[in-house]
Amino acid sequence: MASTAPSGMPSSKEKKYDRQLRLWGADGQNKLEASHIALFGASAAGCEILKNLILPGIGRFTIIDDKKVEESDLGVNFFLDDDSVGKSRAERTAALLGELNPDVEGDYIEDSFSNLVATKPELFQPGWTPFTHIIVVSPFNTDDVLKLSPEIPTFLVHSIGSTAMLRISASTRCVVDTHPDTLIDLRLLNPWEELSAMVAEKTKDLGIAEKDGGMSDHEHGHVPYVLLLLKFLEDWKAAHGGNPPSTYAEKNAFKDMIRNSMRMDVPGGSEENYEEAIAAVLKNIRAAEISSHTKAVLEDPRCINPTPECETFWIIAHAVREFMNRDDQGAGLLPLSGGFPDMKAESSTYVALQNIYRSRARRDATFVHENAKAVLRKLGRDPELITLDEVSLFTKHANFVRRINYRTIAAEYNFPPDDFHKKAVTSALQSYNAEWNPSLIYDYVALRAWQEYYSKIGQLPGEDDNYLDSDIREQMRITAVDYLSSIGYQSNIDHRLDQMLQEIIRAGGSELHVIASLIGGIVAQEIVKVITSQYVPVNNTVIFDGIKSRTSVFEF
Amino acid sequence: MTFAQGPRWKQLERVRNRKGAFTDDDYAPQDQAEFLDDCKILVIGAGGLGCEILKNLALSGFTNIHVIDMDTIDLSNLNRQFLFREADVGKPKAEVAARFVMKRVKGCTITPHYCAIQDKDTDFYMQFKLVICGLDSVEARRWINSTLVDMVDPNVMETLKPLVDGGTEGFKGQSRVILPTITSCYECSLDMLTPQTAVPICTLASIPRQPAHCIEWASILEWPRVFGDKKMDTDNPEHIQWLYEAALARAKEFNIMGVTYSMTQGVVKNIIPAIASTNAIIAASCCNEALKILTNMNPFLQNYMMYTGDEGVYTHTFEHQKKEGCPVCGTSAIDFEVSPDITLADFIDKLKEQPDIQIKKPTITTQRRKLYFQAPPELNELTRPNLDKKLSELADSGEEFAITDPGLPFNLRLNVIFTK
Repeated sequence: MASTAPSGMPSSKEKKYDRQLRLWGADGQNKLEASHIALFGASAAGCEILKNLILPGIGRFTIIDDKKVEESDLGVNFFLDDDSVGKSRAERTAALLGELNPDVEGDYIEDSFSNLVATKPELFQPGWTPFTHIIVVSPFNTDDVLKLSPEIPTFLVHSIGSTAMLRISASTRCVVDTHPDTLIDLRLLNPWEELSAMVAEKTKDLGIAEKDGGMSDHEHGHVPYVLLLLKFLEDWKAAHGGNPPSTYAEKNAFKDMIRNSMRMDVPGGSEENYEEAIAAVLKNIRAAEISSHTKAVLEDPRCINPTPECETFWIIAHAVREFMNRDDQGAGLLPLSGGFPDMKAESSTYVALQNIYRSRARRDATFVHENAKAVLRKLGRDPELITLDEVSLFTKHANFVRRINYRTIAAEYNFPPDDFHKKAVTSALQSYNAEWNPSLIYDYVALRAWQEYYSKIGQLPGEDDNYLDSDIREQMRITAVDYLSSIGYQSNIDHRLDQMLQEIIRAGGSELHVIASLIGGIVAQEIVKVITSQYVPVNNTVIFDGIKSRTSVFEF
Repeated sequence: MTFAQGPRWKQLERVRNRKGAFTDDDYAPQDQAEFLDDCKILVIGAGGLGCEILKNLALSGFTNIHVIDMDTIDLSNLNRQFLFREADVGKPKAEVAARFVMKRVKGCTITPHYCAIQDKDTDFYMQFKLVICGLDSVEARRWINSTLVDMVDPNVMETLKPLVDGGTEGFKGQSRVILPTITSCYECSLDMLTPQTAVPICTLASIPRQPAHCIEWASILEWPRVFGDKKMDTDNPEHIQWLYEAALARAKEFNIMGVTYSMTQGVVKNIIPAIASTNAIIAASCCNEALKILTNMNPFLQNYMMYTGDEGVYTHTFEHQKKEGCPVCGTSAIDFEVSPDITLADFIDKLKEQPDIQIKKPTITTQRRKLYFQAPPELNELTRPNLDKKLSELADSGEEFAITDPGLPFNLRLNVIFTK
């Protein structure tokens, strides 16, 4: 997108997208605008998903559907009108959705998913396909989705009555900009030279009363709490064999130590900077820990042995690993984020202290950058491929990066499914409890039975009003039991499963607009996260129960 | 008016006409035909949530909808408010939204009201079966909540109007069902909002540390100093440009980095990021609950769902409990403990800091005397000396204080109890 300097007045495009640019920035927006989304199935849910992607400005979309618009579509799909009846559903929805945003190009193909998978495999082949992301909306045949490439990000969606489900499949996603709640890292137990020097300078007269030549109340009340904590930590360690306070009791004693040197004879009876220091003890006095997600990245074979073809993410991760391992660089610590909170202080002291953290973060990033360049050279790649900006974004988020390995659709939907799937479902079934762990695992089994039934029989269970309810119920029970035995789970039909089967048959394949719209929002959020490579997408299944208004997430 | 009928509504009717696993034993959809035919719903707000809500209700078979919104369409609405186009910028949201949905969904009537909710009286609100709110203002939510609670006559069922409320911020949002006087109300949960801690004026005036401090200095202190009484218009790009330049110069003076035009606008307009997908989730959740409440086709939400989409998907669905002594749906005055030695001015500051009260310019009286009046000027002058007096000079422990405030849609009653 055309972007102006951050200082100038916004362009009209920046004005239009202002409320979302505040979330994913110009970089996220550029990625959205480069995407081409294919929607297979112009159902209400499908069109609601696209609406939520066209509005924020994806590049292109193509709707694939072979149906003619029926009157019953109008009662559930907002992107059809009276004039549409009898015409191509793909064409009409593409036209009405296209009106939402003139920046987005829309197209349609009047054909079915099954037919295209069989006759035009190049549409689904990495390297050949024009589509960057694929959405497939139920009803679809299991056999057809099994033919999709695990390399192309794919979103399978069910919206049946009050229940809805999304399954994501894609190649590994590596996310740097995960937008954690905070990036603040004070490193109180690992101060470096410049920081310790500032502590010494700014706290040397701390214990001396003003009349004895010490600080005035104003000065005393404006020593930044980070410096106070570092100073009192030195005192504590001197009195405790060099160890910082670690237990809860010790931390409380440490708080008392700070409180005891606060000046009370000041207006208000206490000093704000000391109060801030006390409040920060429990959260900030602790060893720098590496998150489990970052560990997973650093231990990934792609990080340990980056290849000439690999994404820059793995090169930088490798460079961070080297940084940590080297005594002359991180010496066991991750690069510093540079995130620094506001605190009571004089402007100049605050800025100077903040700069100590920022310089340290820049120093760490520069080390990582040098390491990355060396790796690139070794791999025979352009050493300038990775910029300091890209490295800095990574090091800023070093403790929050994510690697998501998506399991393939085949691993879940083959008959029988693989062991991982069997274990995932079995353990969820075993830990289900209607009272204290009412997960939506039985909703999954019911939806799975629906999918197997449709793929086998070609009918939506419950769609025929003349069909005996008890017969279809029995058939669905058998399908569910077949699936459960395929994963090695032998048990009677649980009450919850029976209820969910009944609900799904009740819908008879009908969509409720509210549920279609709700899953449309969920799927669009996930697609935006996958496209922008920001925030953390679901791995890999989310189910919504519209009766109790709850969700469950599973890795199947 | 007829609720959803005919071939167009086949999918909805199929679900509605069949008994489900969770419906009541005596569920009989045909019995409700009359109720639904006459079922008027009020939508408050025609913005990000409102556009979605109107579409959802129209496609849930409701044929008689009113919508109320006092705003006009802005370019920055178009990334999510899908009933509006660039040519609509400047027109009233309620009118454009109503027209669009009526044109698309035949048989649905939507009556727009281009005004503030406070402009309507109790008779207006009494005509609806249910109210759905998609607002971005705490103040407006408090007003409609307290209005609907006050309207309840326990002897007349029809006076109880379920209120379904939704809100979003970025990838997060929440929806809830309020049965006025029966379940926890909006006021009961006011302390769940993140407290908006104002930066002390002295920080802005003399020791700024953050870019936001420089921006607030420009808008709160520098603008009035330079322009006197001239009102700042946060929608006027020239005003924003001036604030931005003033903030930038101040930031430079203090070596603070990061002031941008966009940040200036964000701070002075208190902009909350908003996207189409989150609005879709929350609006659909609200309308799903409305549909269940009005048709009984499934049990409805008890009574609160929080949705978090920035890290995976996480929802927390729980029953928020009524707050004992809620100033709106409770019956008695709330106990409020305070030192007798603080001044009335300190007491007012304390009230302002309370996350569950949230007032700005209170007027305070007791049964015996007028403690402090904001207006008219004569009363303000008369009561101003009280600000410097200790509470113990003005009242006895346990005495009831009545507090009114422009931000408060009801009279707050506090039993002010002196601590020893």
